[in-house]
Amino acid sequence: MRTGIIYTDTIVHLAPEKFAADVPYQVVIVSLDGEGAGRLTARIAGDNVVIGDRVREVEGRDGIPVFQKSA
Amino acid sequence: MRQVAVIGAGKTPFGAFPDKDLRTLAVEAAHKSLANAQVDTGTIEAFYLGNFAGPGFTGQNHLAPYISTALGMIGIPSTRYEAACASSGAAFFEACLGIASGMYDMVMVAGVEKMTCQPTPRVTEILAGAGDCSTEVRAGSTFPSLFAMVARRHMYQYGTTRAHLSSVAVKNHENGVLNPDAQMRKVITLEQAMNARPIAEPLNLYDCSLISDGAAAVILCAADRAHEFSAKPVKVLGVGQSSDYMALDQKPDITTFSAVKGAAQKAYAMAGLGPKDIQFAELHDCFTIAEIVAMEDLGFVERGRGGFFSAEGGTRRVGPMPINASGGLKSKGHPVGATGVAQICDIVQQLRGEAGERQLERHSIGLAQNLGGSGASCVVTILGRD
Repeated sequence: MRTGIIYTDTIVHLAPEKFAADVPYQVVIVSLDGEGAGRLTARIAGDNVVIGDRVREVEGRDGIPVFQKSA
Repeated sequence: MRQVAVIGAGKTPFGAFPDKDLRTLAVEAAHKSLANAQVDTGTIEAFYLGNFAGPGFTGQNHLAPYISTALGMIGIPSTRYEAACASSGAAFFEACLGIASGMYDMVMVAGVEKMTCQPTPRVTEILAGAGDCSTEVRAGSTFPSLFAMVARRHMYQYGTTRAHLSSVAVKNHENGVLNPDAQMRKVITLEQAMNARPIAEPLNLYDCSLISDGAAAVILCAADRAHEFSAKPVKVLGVGQSSDYMALDQKPDITTFSAVKGAAQKAYAMAGLGPKDIQFAELHDCFTIAEIVAMEDLGFVERGRGGFFSAEGGTRRVGPMPINASGGLKSKGHPVGATGVAQICDIVQQLRGEAGERQLERHSIGLAQNLGGSGASCVVTILGRD
């Protein structure tokens, strides 16, 4: 699974209907580890993260990439 | 290339108008622009319409002839332009080309959006369509959340604060109170603005522009013929459009919008002017952070200083660089597809000295910046008094 560092984040309180049950949820842009790996928009599972936190990918759902704070 | 002039401008008030449909709004603004220019529809050679999501909000498609024929304009080219929140900026850009090329002497550009007919979660969903649905939107990004991520990074890199963001909202409400056509004519305090309910952290309710119905229209004419129709023509000194990646995660640095810089460079070069020559501006404050980033990308302040400059009062009507004397999208309202042309209307009003209580002291050269999506489209226009 991919790993990376938080580039930016937001906590969403007003969501479209299909995500309404998840509110509040955190959306982040992760700078992925690896040369030229680029960045990725993902959800956070578990504890909220801040810019600079290291994260690792965990199992997603509905094709949505999900990351979690590295221990 | 022929110079382009604006000889007429007209807007509907912005707000929630349950008894006015999309076409009624557009026709109202169009008639006001014609009356303002003192020309009739028979002189209009082409119709350019800016609209973001009329089909999504109302179910109606093929909007340009739907509107132009209701104005009695039959047979002329009539096309809708879509560039998210920069839709009518893009229509305006294309209309300028139509005059500049020599193809037309006189055209109409209108922008319209009818948004309040849908409940807020559906509006949120439609607006999110201006982002990349295959990546950022799928992950749960809403439109406020994209700008929230810009704000978070800007705060991290440059020390922009919660109070800096709110100073933009407070100032735009202070201006909007004086605008009879504004949607939210209400003074707010810095404390209120800082403590409103969160929408997408760090942005709260008062960082976000409004959900609005409204329309705006302008009549463009070849500058060499403008005096036949108008005693107060306004010249398009420069206009530029640029584009960039759709998704924020594709941009190398999300604290700056390269499309804004690109559009500005083109507009400045055409006008032979620079940021120091601009006396006032209407900027695309769809969110407070967007106004801060725009003033940096346009070169009004150094990178990272936008929030500080705003909090110091630099952008108030009495400040060195008045921004959004109209109230901006925040207070005036933001019927998405109407906003680009509405900004032009506001600049024209200032240049002509017709802005009433909002009239600025220095009003010879103004700039409008219309942003689409989270920076994938931008149109910058510089207008000057003849």
